[in-house]
Amino acid sequence: MIVLGAIIAVHSYKGGTGKTLISVNLAVSFLKHGRKVCLLDLDFRAPSLSSILKIDKAEYWLNDYLNGTCEIDKALIDISDRFNNEGKILVGLANPATEAIREISAKDRKWEMRALGRLLSLRNSLLSTMDFDYLIFDTSPGLQYSSINAIVSADLVVVASTLDTSDIEGTNRMLRELYDLFEKKTEIIMNKVLCDASSKSGRDEMQSKIKDIYEPPLLGVIPCYCDISRAGGTFIFAQEKPGHPFAKILDEIAAKIEKM
Amino acid sequence: MVKQQEVFGKRPLQILEKIRENLEKLNEKMEVMIEIQKTGKKDFSPLPESPLDVMTLLSMPDHLRKTAMTICRLGRATADEVAEQTRRARAVESGYLNQLVIMGYLKKERKGRKAYFYVEKENQG
Repeated sequence: MIVLGAIIAVHSYKGGTGKTLISVNLAVSFLKHGRKVCLLDLDFRAPSLSSILKIDKAEYWLNDYLNGTCEIDKALIDISDRFNNEGKILVGLANPATEAIREISAKDRKWEMRALGRLLSLRNSLLSTMDFDYLIFDTSPGLQYSSINAIVSADLVVVASTLDTSDIEGTNRMLRELYDLFEKKTEIIMNKVLCDASSKSGRDEMQSKIKDIYEPPLLGVIPCYCDISRAGGTFIFAQEKPGHPFAKILDEIAAKIEKM
Repeated sequence: MVKQQEVFGKRPLQILEKIRENLEKLNEKMEVMIEIQKTGKKDFSPLPESPLDVMTLLSMPDHLRKTAMTICRLGRATADEVAEQTRRARAVESGYLNQLVIMGYLKKERKGRKAYFYVEKENQG
């Protein structure tokens, strides 16, 4: 059971499955319920949170925290005032500069081991000391150090998958050979599903089709919405279009996680 | 003989504790001997220090990964504390922890009666 004070890693086998979209909207869904949320961009190879949140400059990045040059509170930016909610939301950003990406890609095993230690210590610093309800890690896709470090540090791994054959095969492999080995509680979100989302029969057909693909329980199914592609990451649905079916699905997913 | 009886009568718990301590030491020596047999080396010494990163954790056998991950989470712990987390027997965890020390992934430090295991993070890279 996940009590308040949980770390959620949003991961996927392939890129472009909607990890960041899910992470941001999930964070805002929790925020709408008055939770104190911390959203961390751990996709150091392709940072995107800074662009989505339109934050060009940060005094300290998460890269600095993992390098040991600052403490976590210095690398967090409070963006609660952008939202008209009771809750609090702070974000930690990955440095999008090419030089920073190059530098972090060249780190060795010892550095990655220390980075794991720094991520593990967030449980104490953010959940216990700073009283956050949820920490959400937006990770890099596939099997690489930064994402596995995040998975090892998390209580729950939310895996975003599409119906793409290679994505399904890869995700199933990761379920057996990654999440299971670390004994992680894993839930799947099927994203970009092409179906008739407007009718109940269409949604039921889609649900039964997906049930045959993955063993772990489905946390949610998100149909492919043209509105999301059209928005191009310029706004947060959970906040600006709370009535949109996508925002409602994310609210349902957040409610499910709260009950775990 | 009389003296011994007195000792047993007065301090049975301490004596048992001493026996346990000695058994632990024997256990550690056995672990080393097993490693020597495996590697075929007579002048056995622990393998050079090796970082305990996630890829290493992934490639470990399941039983050792569980122990190693617990140390990663706790930072520094005794076999008792690890056993409490993994819900395996203390002696089993002691064996696995010493094996991880021999493999170069963990460090061990004795403080009084207790032996602490931890991941060496200083002076690296």
